[in-house]
Amino acid sequence: MTISPIVELEQLGKVYPTRTGDVTALTDVDLRIDDGEFVAIVGPSGCGKTTLLKILAGLEQHTSGVGTLGGRELGSGAADVGMVFQKATLLPWQDVRSNVLLPVSLQRRPSKADRAAADELLEMVGLTDFASKRPHELSGGMQQRAAICRALVHEPSMLLMDEPFGALDAMTRDLLNVEVNRIWRETHKTVVLITHSIPEAVFLAQRVIVMSPRPGRIVDQVEVPFGPERTLELLGTPEFGALCSTIRRHFEKEAAA
Amino acid sequence: MSTLTSMRNARGSGRSGQLIGTLSVLAVVLLAWQFLPTALGTPSYVVPVLSDVLNALFDPEAFPRYLSNAGATMTEVLLGLGIGVALGLALAVTLAQLPRVYGVVFPYIVAIESIPKVAVAPLFVIWFGFGLPSKVVVVVLLAFFPVLVNTIHGLRSVDKDQIDLFRVNGASPLQLRMRLMIPAALPQIFSGLELAVANSMIGAIVAEFVGAQEGLGVLILQAQGRMETAAVFALLIILSALGIALNVLVRTVRKVVVNWEGR
Repeated sequence: MTISPIVELEQLGKVYPTRTGDVTALTDVDLRIDDGEFVAIVGPSGCGKTTLLKILAGLEQHTSGVGTLGGRELGSGAADVGMVFQKATLLPWQDVRSNVLLPVSLQRRPSKADRAAADELLEMVGLTDFASKRPHELSGGMQQRAAICRALVHEPSMLLMDEPFGALDAMTRDLLNVEVNRIWRETHKTVVLITHSIPEAVFLAQRVIVMSPRPGRIVDQVEVPFGPERTLELLGTPEFGALCSTIRRHFEKEAAA
Repeated sequence: MSTLTSMRNARGSGRSGQLIGTLSVLAVVLLAWQFLPTALGTPSYVVPVLSDVLNALFDPEAFPRYLSNAGATMTEVLLGLGIGVALGLALAVTLAQLPRVYGVVFPYIVAIESIPKVAVAPLFVIWFGFGLPSKVVVVVLLAFFPVLVNTIHGLRSVDKDQIDLFRVNGASPLQLRMRLMIPAALPQIFSGLELAVANSMIGAIVAEFVGAQEGLGVLILQAQGRMETAAVFALLIILSALGIALNVLVRTVRKVVVNWEGR
């Protein structure tokens, strides 16, 4: 049985025209992501990781190379993805359940089955009792959990996360990472996570893509040898620390250069 | 939970304490108004005592006239406010869709925003006469700009990630406007509306001062001409009550509509 790639990028590039000349945000990106894979992209700010995610989401157009997502050419309309942003971006005038149903309600009137799916997702992240509450009644971590439910409710083929826990405190962040690992194992979704935390990338992903700025490009792809289930104990193991150091060395080289 | 309840109680008693304070200030002012002018020997044509003002206000001959003229003023205010707010909202939503046009028009909006617009009231009386239209036009002009400026500001400060969220999920331009931009801008739209309400009262009265056949502004000028200071105060009380009522109405609607605010 061969695993089919869900994302295939060849020589993908992105150039922004500005008044002071063209700025290359991304260059020569070759990337293949398999269906069901968990990939993390790490790199300092300005390395083009968010640009890459936005191209995958169909929010921005690449300017060179080719790419497909789920067999469809990139840049041909809205992509079949769910997206989680750094801020929860919940609509404050709607309750949590309506917020989760947003991707559905933008396409059609949500059915009973849609509402059941939303409630099931809220149960999975422990927010059942908060379904009828407004976002401001939830903590930051709970809001981000609801945002993850929203990104999954329309059964997208892929989940894109752009530094989803960057605004949360370290302890909440650890707990949510364990939860993301569980959600991934339960839903079998392909996940692309953008982060500037190397330990977070290693903890969650099966493969870590290392990017470097000026111009934004992929400098390494590191396979993570741990099994699918990740627990917080992993963070203290020597293997985990060694892998993090290997990846960090890329950035030390970069800083020295 | 008990801590939460006691905190709520503490806040509640704080709020009622504040109310008692506010009412005490009012009582002191009213008492001073009644007794200080006599004590200081101030003549009644300068500052009439409170009871004289109340007598003037509830004078059975004058009161019906006050009411009908208040009706005339409020007609000007509400008509002008309605038209001005509708125009301001429509133009703001249109400009928010057209960033290039907005860039061209913006300096003019700032320029017009900073001129004292009541100064053009005499011109409008020349153009539209002494009747209702000239007053409504002044009110429209005064109500329009705060709504326009605040709404544009609200629409332009919608969170970029929220816009991306709608785009990723294939929202149509209409859905983006109706389900994200406008609701997100509501707090600022209401701030504009509150300013518009205050401006409308000013606009109507100044336009009446400049030239009108009826309205509270006309009655104030007439009372001034006869040196009936108590009547002037009585009319000011009516005017203030109407202004406060309109403001409270807008704030109440805001609390109901923008019910996610201020928590």
